Amino acid sequence: MIIEIAAEGGFGGIAAAASHKRIDVDQQAEPMRQELCEAFEPDQLALLADKPCTTCADRLTYRITVTDSQQHSQIFTIREDQLPPETLDLIDQM
Amino acid sequence: MCFSLSCSGHNPVNCIIPPYMLQVLALRGDEDTARMARSLLKQNEQVRDERAEHARAGVPPTDLLSGAFASHALSPSGQLCCPDRRIHDGGFKAALPGTLIRSEGDDPCGVDDADLAYDGAGHVFSLFAEEYGRNSLDGEGMPLVATVHHRRAYNNAFWNGAQMAYGTGDGELFRTFLELSVIGHEMAHGVIQFAGGLIYENQSGALNESIADVFGSLALQRSLGQQVHEADWLVGRGILGPGVNGVALRSMKAPGTAYADDLLGQDPQPWHMDHFVTTTDDHGGVHINSGIPNHAFYLFCNYLGGRSWELPGRIWYRALQSLNNPMASFADWADQTMDAATDLTGRGSIETVLLRRAWKLVGIGF
Repeated sequence: MIIEIAAEGGFGGIAAAASHKRIDVDQQAEPMRQELCEAFEPDQLALLADKPCTTCADRLTYRITVTDSQQHSQIFTIREDQLPPETLDLIDQM
Repeated sequence: MCFSLSCSGHNPVNCIIPPYMLQVLALRGDEDTARMARSLLKQNEQVRDERAEHARAGVPPTDLLSGAFASHALSPSGQLCCPDRRIHDGGFKAALPGTLIRSEGDDPCGVDDADLAYDGAGHVFSLFAEEYGRNSLDGEGMPLVATVHHRRAYNNAFWNGAQMAYGTGDGELFRTFLELSVIGHEMAHGVIQFAGGLIYENQSGALNESIADVFGSLALQRSLGQQVHEADWLVGRGILGPGVNGVALRSMKAPGTAYADDLLGQDPQPWHMDHFVTTTDDHGGVHINSGIPNHAFYLFCNYLGGRSWELPGRIWYRALQSLNNPMASFADWADQTMDAATDLTGRGSIETVLLRRAWKLVGIGF
């Protein structure tokens, strides 16, 4: 599974400051591999993307692409406040 | 505007409330009302999707808007006294608020970012309390909770509805976010929220950003005792990384000139409606088009001279407290500031004439 994460927005709102990360989950050692699989499971991401925005001012927006072993990609647009802190920490580690 | 296809006996307002009103209810309603409004907005979106499929017509989707916003537009001032600051160390993790490291009245803790957040929160509290009679962000003395060292190499600062959070920056694009205009900006988002809120997209979102910039800049100018002509009118001066060709994140005096860098590009802010940027990025360009009302405020202050946090700040604050329109356009906001100026200085005063001139110069005419 490949996870790609592009971030934009935030206080600066500078499009060119957007970050981009890519990780091959299958190449990761345990327990990182398992944590990534659970955090970026597509059904879970779809649920998170539906969560209401409590306050959106200056928050980052993530565009998360999950590609499975059959090269099937799913794309989710999720704001920072919709992701649990543990997932944000994983993103920071990537 | 009727949700007849999804009417429910549980929600008698289901077929009555138009989407724009549901957006406001989702923004301002109590928990149950906001949940109902979000649910109806979602149903509405589904219905429209189905209609679009059937008609094979391109109906643009409506973004879901919601939030646990206060239900009152006017925040009554309670007993004014002292800030209640609570600064936490996030330990470079995302969980909030983290470990409490400095409370109100404590000596400096020696963590630079925490001490800057503490001092900055004090300046912003003082601006709103002493100049505008507001007791903290909610008008009712709420604690000023902040987290520094939020996440790792985090290029951002935000208000999450209950507290402020500040990253350290990655050292390349940003070197810090603990600068007073930034602190004031984030805290002003809280004031805006408790004053009834402005929906964070398109023009109302750009107004949300602009009003936050205005009070951030006023907090800085007041702390430095600057007259209008002594201020630099920059938002986020010194926060850009050492290799970035720029002085700040935004300029209210000259929108579009804060930075011009190989990596970051050119500051995209317009100063006039002729250059209004239509985009779906950045919630409809909220950090871009805020340059227009920002510049109108600067022009007004420049015409008047003196201290910007006094009459101009009072007019903007009064307009925010009186605004009862979370979807306000720039023109709506200009009208609101004109009404506030009339209330404070009298009909036909020189101040109202100059304010009208400022709005007209940025392309918002009367």
